[in-house]
Amino acid sequence: MRKLLLSFVVMLPTMGHAHDYTAGDLVINHPKIIETPPGAKVAAGYLSIANKGNEDDRLLAIESTVVPKVELHTSSITDGVARMTPMEGGMALPAGKTTALGDEGTHAMFTNLPQQLKQGEKVEAVLVFEKAGRVPVVFNVEKRSAQKSESHDHE
Amino acid sequence: MITSSSRLLRRIRLVTWVLIAFLVSAVAIVWMQGHLASEAEAKPYAAPFQLVNQNGETVTEQDVLGKPSAWFYGFTHCPDVCPAALAEMAQVLQELGPDADKLQVFFVSVDPARDTPSLLKDYVAYFDERIVALTGDEPQLRQMTKDRYIHYKKVGDGDAYDMDHTAGIQLVRADGRFFGTMDSHEPPEVRMQKIRRLIGG
Repeated sequence: MRKLLLSFVVMLPTMGHAHDYTAGDLVINHPKIIETPPGAKVAAGYLSIANKGNEDDRLLAIESTVVPKVELHTSSITDGVARMTPMEGGMALPAGKTTALGDEGTHAMFTNLPQQLKQGEKVEAVLVFEKAGRVPVVFNVEKRSAQKSESHDHE
Repeated sequence: MITSSSRLLRRIRLVTWVLIAFLVSAVAIVWMQGHLASEAEAKPYAAPFQLVNQNGETVTEQDVLGKPSAWFYGFTHCPDVCPAALAEMAQVLQELGPDADKLQVFFVSVDPARDTPSLLKDYVAYFDERIVALTGDEPQLRQMTKDRYIHYKKVGDGDAYDMDHTAGIQLVRADGRFFGTMDSHEPPEVRMQKIRRLIGG
């Protein structure tokens, strides 16, 4: 049993699977950053948050000690033109719902990257919630999935 | 009396023929001008340009014509839309296998202030080394994109500005005529069908 447990622990860092965090009524699922091309100064981060409580909350900001600046954005394509706008006041987390950065063009933009972010690397960050407060998480750096566009998996 | 009226008739006939000849040539000139103009309009990718590729080499419309091509306009400080489009184009090249040499793929940076050729070299090679990155002086880019119905605009000041830009991928025939667009929301099979029709024709 102990051997089994030990092998599990050893395996953990190599698994690219979902990881989650609980903060009060919030379950934060699988924060990830898409691997960046060399030379890129920005990266896109995604995660989903299930609000299992009866009260609305709000993701106000993401802070990171590794990356100088993180912004919450929405990318939209209107009349064939791509635009990026800041999410004013952060992302609403209605009670009883799961909301994702990755839905409808939303993402966290990690910017002024000091270097390329590669698959397997981890980026420490703090999610700042209006009610749940500050929650430390780790964003896993992953390869872009082969699917048509990056959106967050609600699992 | 008889002679003067026949002279008048002859004069009227002559004037009529001159008028007819004038009208016919006027119509022909107008028709030809219209025809030539629509011919030029229908080949937006034959419009002249001069940009620089990721190796610092000059590229003009003459280097591009003669083979079908796919074009995306963006910038590297773009977290999602641009890398997704480049990944799609890399996937297309990969799926084409040996047929990939029938297609040219271009990424035009509309942010020359930050996207230097050497930066673009590493950036596009990450997706696929066959993708040609282009950029150039602002006036060159303005004219080149205008001729191809591409919109871009700088938004914000300082270092943290963004670029609004046309999001679709333009597909172009060997002679510079539009073939169609590729949209990131369509399934990969649809994109591949379009590409196969483009390079097959």
